[in-house]
Amino acid sequence: MSFVILVPLLPLLAALMVLVGDEGTRRQRAKMAVYPIGGAFLGAIATLWWVATQGPITLRFYDPASPATLAFPIGFYIDRLSAVMMVLISGVGTIIYTYSIGYMYQDPHDRRYLALIGFTTSVLLCMVSSANLMMLFLFWQVLSYMLYLLAHNHAHAATLDGAFRTFTLLRVGDVAFLSGTVLAYQLYGTFEFQALFAKAAETPVMLSPWPSFEISGPTAVTLLLFIGGMSKSAQFPLHFWLPRSLYAPTPVHALLHAGIINAGGFLINRLAPLYGLSSTTLHVAFVVGTLTAILGATMMLAQNDIKKTLGFSTIGQMGYMIMECGLGAFSLAVFHLIAHGLFKATVFLNCGNVIHKARQDPESPHADPREEEKEFSSLTWSTGFATTLLIPLLILLVTHGVLRIPLLESQGTVIFLFFIWITSSQAILTLTRLRAIASWKVSSAMLLTLLFVVFVYLFAVESFTAFLYPNPAEVASYFQAAALPNWLFDSMVVMATILTVVSWGYLYMRAHGHGRTMWIPGWVEGLRVRLYVVFMNRLYMDELYQALGRAVMRVVHRIDKRNARWSE
Amino acid sequence: MINPMLTPWLVAAVPLLGALLGFAVWSQPDKLKAWSVTMTLANLLAVIVSFFTLTGSTEGLLFVLLLPLAACVSLLGQPAHKEHRLAWVMTLVFLGMGLGILTLPPPIGPMALTLLLGLITFLLYWHHDPFWGPSWLGISTYGLGTLCAGIAAMTGSSIASLLACTILLPLVPFHHGYVAALTRLPGSLPSFTVLLLPAIGLHRVATVLPTLPDVVVSVVIVVALSGSLYGTVKALAQSRVRLLLAYGSLSFFSILWWFVAVTRTVRPQAAVFLGSVALVTGGLLMSWQVIRTRYGDDVDPQGITGLAAPMPRFAVLISLLALAAMGLPPFGVFAGFMGLLFTSPLTLSVAPLVVAITWLAASWYILDLVQRLLFGRKRPDLRYEDVHESEFASLLIVVVIMFALGLAPTNLFGGAVQPTGTAVESVSWNR
Repeated sequence: MSFVILVPLLPLLAALMVLVGDEGTRRQRAKMAVYPIGGAFLGAIATLWWVATQGPITLRFYDPASPATLAFPIGFYIDRLSAVMMVLISGVGTIIYTYSIGYMYQDPHDRRYLALIGFTTSVLLCMVSSANLMMLFLFWQVLSYMLYLLAHNHAHAATLDGAFRTFTLLRVGDVAFLSGTVLAYQLYGTFEFQALFAKAAETPVMLSPWPSFEISGPTAVTLLLFIGGMSKSAQFPLHFWLPRSLYAPTPVHALLHAGIINAGGFLINRLAPLYGLSSTTLHVAFVVGTLTAILGATMMLAQNDIKKTLGFSTIGQMGYMIMECGLGAFSLAVFHLIAHGLFKATVFLNCGNVIHKARQDPESPHADPREEEKEFSSLTWSTGFATTLLIPLLILLVTHGVLRIPLLESQGTVIFLFFIWITSSQAILTLTRLRAIASWKVSSAMLLTLLFVVFVYLFAVESFTAFLYPNPAEVASYFQAAALPNWLFDSMVVMATILTVVSWGYLYMRAHGHGRTMWIPGWVEGLRVRLYVVFMNRLYMDELYQALGRAVMRVVHRIDKRNARWSE
Repeated sequence: MINPMLTPWLVAAVPLLGALLGFAVWSQPDKLKAWSVTMTLANLLAVIVSFFTLTGSTEGLLFVLLLPLAACVSLLGQPAHKEHRLAWVMTLVFLGMGLGILTLPPPIGPMALTLLLGLITFLLYWHHDPFWGPSWLGISTYGLGTLCAGIAAMTGSSIASLLACTILLPLVPFHHGYVAALTRLPGSLPSFTVLLLPAIGLHRVATVLPTLPDVVVSVVIVVALSGSLYGTVKALAQSRVRLLLAYGSLSFFSILWWFVAVTRTVRPQAAVFLGSVALVTGGLLMSWQVIRTRYGDDVDPQGITGLAAPMPRFAVLISLLALAAMGLPPFGVFAGFMGLLFTSPLTLSVAPLVVAITWLAASWYILDLVQRLLFGRKRPDLRYEDVHESEFASLLIVVVIMFALGLAPTNLFGGAVQPTGTAVESVSWNR
């Protein structure tokens, strides 16, 4: 059982192998270091198997009765959640390290870079297997600094600027995390996860920071910790460090987008029983996540740089993940972050090829409006109709009848189904517009693929939920805690339905005489252009924060000058 | 077997004797420096051998260990130049007096403190800059400190003693002496006094606090929180390295003042925090000394960039020191800070917010400073030379001590930690 310590230690060993040694064996050592990282991956798989069959592993190198005597109460608590995360991190770490050996070949600072990749992987593994809140916070902070170092090319002014902003913004989150940790300790007297959850559940406590305002202990703690999670997972309005860090080498982004940025989702899952005690925090998470998903996705559409596009896509996806948490679907968020991590790592590692191809063929991808279909295609539009209106009904019936999910009592599931509906409608609409070939083969392939994907997804999520949270009552309690007020929930469902149906109706009627080109009123088009500029400039958030920073420094210098005058 | 009563005298006498004998090699700076370093090591050995026979508070005993180490690294980090001879000898003198103040019983300790403050006032006057106003403020502050320490030694007045403490462990508005000491004292003295004076201050505070009226303690709490913000604002505004470090450490010491005033005790965590903040500030001062040795005393920090690649050893060490100064794990500042937070009766009020701002701002100005030095473009007109062995050793020792202070269990320096939060009912904001 103690072999689990090797999982975080092996990447550290890899980092040391790269770092220590003479110049002559540099390349060989860099290549040899793949084995310890790969070994960590195999160890993580073995840990997952062990945990799935034998139960959680707990190793402590301190006395849990008085953890505060040590500033570093190091220990490991590995349950199914930790083990799954360890497999993801070590797996992605191995791929990224292997890729980086070739990618950074002949870079003068490749040794430092490769060592940092190994070290970061180790830190991430320690973080997800932390035995207590304090250890989690320790590695949480170290991760902030690692992101600063991984910017790598510190001689480049923009990179340096981005790295500095990344670190300082992440420190804001760290401060909130610190406050949450301290408050949790002050209220419940322990860092140990299980003891913390038990005490929080059995001792309701109300805090009154100022007269006529009260907040429950779990809400205060989870809100503060959530702000910490917001910063790492790039949630609005703490998101703008992510696009600023895009100057770092591409494999860093693969690691960042596949591992580090998932920290917020992991945090909420790790502390799920605590978050389950606070409906307020879950609602805040829902709002923040939804806002981030919408803004991130919209800004992604307006970017003209592949890395920025992917960066904002990640912000949108992270928003989605946090929104899932806010709806009480904690396991779904983990499923999402794994799927997104693997997908985004692949895309980032491949984006260099796309850039290379685009340089060779500037016309790629081809987009010629003259090639548009002029005729209205009933088949294509019927496909869209079936996708948007018929398949969702089928999904609802299957979810209710086969998966036995009580939809009427499960707001979260309904919201997800609606979200799936809206996004798949949007996807099909885009496909219909781009590739409007009136072919029954294309239409049937599209419908079958969609059906296959949606059902596999639903079954996979159900199975994963059962694996991660074997107790269905626990899962139900999280959904219950996250339940929105009925009027709000009903309004959201009705609005989403009307919006989707009316949009399709409008597009269908307008497209009848115009092939695939949609007629849009002039004022809407004008608004779209204005909004496009705003979103392309990322809502001017960078400028806003810069102005804020300048204002603070102006005040600081003014105070300093007055004080200096007084001193003289 | 040495009589336990004589042990403090012996511990304090070693460096004083070393200072006296140092005049024998006054004309040879190399030998004088080596002799001074040897004497601090001998002193450290004497402290370790006699550690269990020394009496005193737990926080005082931690400083008894740290002071010879701090003196040793301060001396090691200096270039062997005849201009620094007086500073080396005075480091030994200060070390001896400091150990005496911490370990000797009254009235010797308080009298030694008066003498020490008088000596610092004289040194500040000797090295003062007539065109820099705060220099005079510093001299006056230490003059006041000497007076207060003298009155406290003679009459036992708790208010005079508190005033002396606010000058030793800097608290606004009596911080000018501390700032002047860090910026005006020559050679190895700033990086040593940054630990010596606050350590003595904390040691004295431990005896003064229980005697103070509630209203005075309340004033100290308010002043400490304001001072913390003041130090942060001043540190953010500085472009000169030593001033930045002085005000940065002032803001951290103000947090310590707030903590000891609120709890009315000096816990081992407070000693760890103070020792770590002081040592890391000293380490950063020595790092800046490395730059000054190469590029002159009046070097503009804005003009030195890109040291990371040509000075890798220096870059790694200053980065680690910066990490420690920003309060990141696994170093002592973080451990001490956590210790303070977990053992203090925090409420959801302004105080935690101020503490959080102070901690956050350190990440800003320390990283900005170190980043400017290490990164950016390498200047072709600068001659880069990595740290020498003695400079490397001094900075490395500081990093190792910071690491040790971070990892060591706090009950090693005193009693076990009593978590305040174990009983929910005890929380003050509870209804």
